[in-house]
Amino acid sequence: MSVAVALDGAVRGLQLALLAVGMTLLFGLGGVLNLAHGAIVVLAAITVATATGALGVPLGLAAVVGIAVATLFGVLLDRTVLRPVHRRRGEARVLLSLLLTLAVALVVEGLLGWWLPTGALSIRVAGGPVDVLGVAMPRGALVAGALSLVAVGAVAWLLRGTVTGRAVRCVIEDEVGARLVGVDPGRMRTLVFALASALAGLVAVTSAMTGPVGVRDGFALTVLALVVAVVGGLGSASGALAAGLLLGVVEAASAATLGTSWTAVVLLATAAATILVRPRGLAGGRR
Amino acid sequence: MTAADGPPAVEVVDPDAGVDTRAVVVAALPVVVVAALLALVPLVVGDSRTAMGVAVGVLVAIGYGVGVNVVLGLTGQLLLCVGALGAVGGYGVALLADDRGWPVLAAVVASTTAASVLGGLFCWLSVRRSLDAIFTGIVTLAFALGVESVLLGQRTITGGEDGRRVRAVADTVLADRVGGYYALLAAVVLCLAVFRWLERSHHGWAYRALRDAPTTAALAGVDVGRHRVRAGAVGAAMVGLVGSLQALVETRIAPSTYSFTAVDVETLVVVAVGGLGRALAPVVGGVSLGLLDELWLRELGTLRLAVDGAVLLVVFLALRDGVLGALERWGRRRRAG
Repeated sequence: MSVAVALDGAVRGLQLALLAVGMTLLFGLGGVLNLAHGAIVVLAAITVATATGALGVPLGLAAVVGIAVATLFGVLLDRTVLRPVHRRRGEARVLLSLLLTLAVALVVEGLLGWWLPTGALSIRVAGGPVDVLGVAMPRGALVAGALSLVAVGAVAWLLRGTVTGRAVRCVIEDEVGARLVGVDPGRMRTLVFALASALAGLVAVTSAMTGPVGVRDGFALTVLALVVAVVGGLGSASGALAAGLLLGVVEAASAATLGTSWTAVVLLATAAATILVRPRGLAGGRR
Repeated sequence: MTAADGPPAVEVVDPDAGVDTRAVVVAALPVVVVAALLALVPLVVGDSRTAMGVAVGVLVAIGYGVGVNVVLGLTGQLLLCVGALGAVGGYGVALLADDRGWPVLAAVVASTTAASVLGGLFCWLSVRRSLDAIFTGIVTLAFALGVESVLLGQRTITGGEDGRRVRAVADTVLADRVGGYYALLAAVVLCLAVFRWLERSHHGWAYRALRDAPTTAALAGVDVGRHRVRAGAVGAAMVGLVGSLQALVETRIAPSTYSFTAVDVETLVVVAVGGLGRALAPVVGGVSLGLLDELWLRELGTLRLAVDGAVLLVVFLALRDGVLGALERWGRRRRAG
């Protein structure tokens, strides 16, 4: 494997990890599989594209607005549509959350696709390619990779190093136990929903630096996030990082050797193989 | 879930008691009535090509719906690759009958079997690794994405985005809208009959038990894994069969014919609107959505997706057991005075 493929894979892998981290935390915390995750990414992307394009807002401010819109949408989702989900337990909860968030995703994508049929966000990062280990890497890919790494690292630190993070992990381990020691699972869930959606907003910005994020990409983004989250072990941020890097490198290698039409298949085969060997994911969480 | 909000309990024939004619009639009656009503459609609108096109579409939706109703409705496993399995059926027939020169019937059987094996495999994977039934949803969703990208990528066989023609029955009665309609109707009635039989046999009891309380069912001696895999294989076979017939009757298939939004979302809406797990749910959902489509929804274009989502939201939040469930409750209240 050449250095170029490894670097491409690493950048892609960091982005996949960022995409999956929100999904994996939400599932670990509330037993909610959020099929609207990709739709939130698209919502943020279209917000940023509209702000920078039609309204002429500077990119930095537009990105902040996009992430804020995504966060707000996530909190709203948690507080309205998903209320009946939280009253259920176990498998019934996951199933209902899947169906409801799928419905929400359809509404969001349907409305956005109707409003802006060709809407897409591309961000051009100024400056020429940068030489990394003898490979000329596009500057946008490096910035996107770095931003993803910082964000995933920040989430990992938040979970391990802060009181709130420990409360969140406490709920992931045992919801009833958390309640007994004074942690409110409902509040933690809203918090994680906000965090996951903010990360989805950030995905829109970083992904747009390496390629366009279109109004119809929500479904593919959701599936990728799911696959990475499952391979990493649902509920684990470090697992998502490991799985993202693994699948990113596999994707880059298969794109370089087999061509892009087979990358999805190779990616899914790798994911299936990993799950068969480590059913609980790379991180081997206890759920 | 309690007995009150699930589908009503059905009488089960004691296997040792011989054939109870009354029970058979009760079991078969809804299917026969539906078959007779649907068979009348071409006699009424057979002259109009457009109307027959809509009718064929409704049958396809009902067929997919029965498949989903077996897997999701009876055993609570989320099958999110209905379109992809339909594509296995449709492109399978095109490949075997058109490109390889197989007899049409053999091609239909082979591609239906392929879809069935895949469906069973996905359920087996999640059962095997003792992962939640939700896992089926994730695996099948990933499979759906994989199939879509292969269909778009392998242009020489699939024709890529533009799709390809299916000429296997081009010169026969099936290519005529009415002939194709009756062929699809036969398949749909077969699927409904199988569903009805599953529901009322000892399988039905096992399904209800494992859907509502898998652990309890396993303790009571139900082989949960085997039943889930079998239901997955049966449901997927129905989807594959309908997918292959759809390709033959419509004579042109493209990735959009079998896309997630075109098939999976529509099927979910059809079954959920009717009432998940009830035998006639796909018929009620399919016919009412077909009519709505003609009257109003078609003009929405891309907004259609948002309407589908909104319908699903309303059904899952407010009307958990669909139109049939609501009717039943209304009927019960009226009888109670």
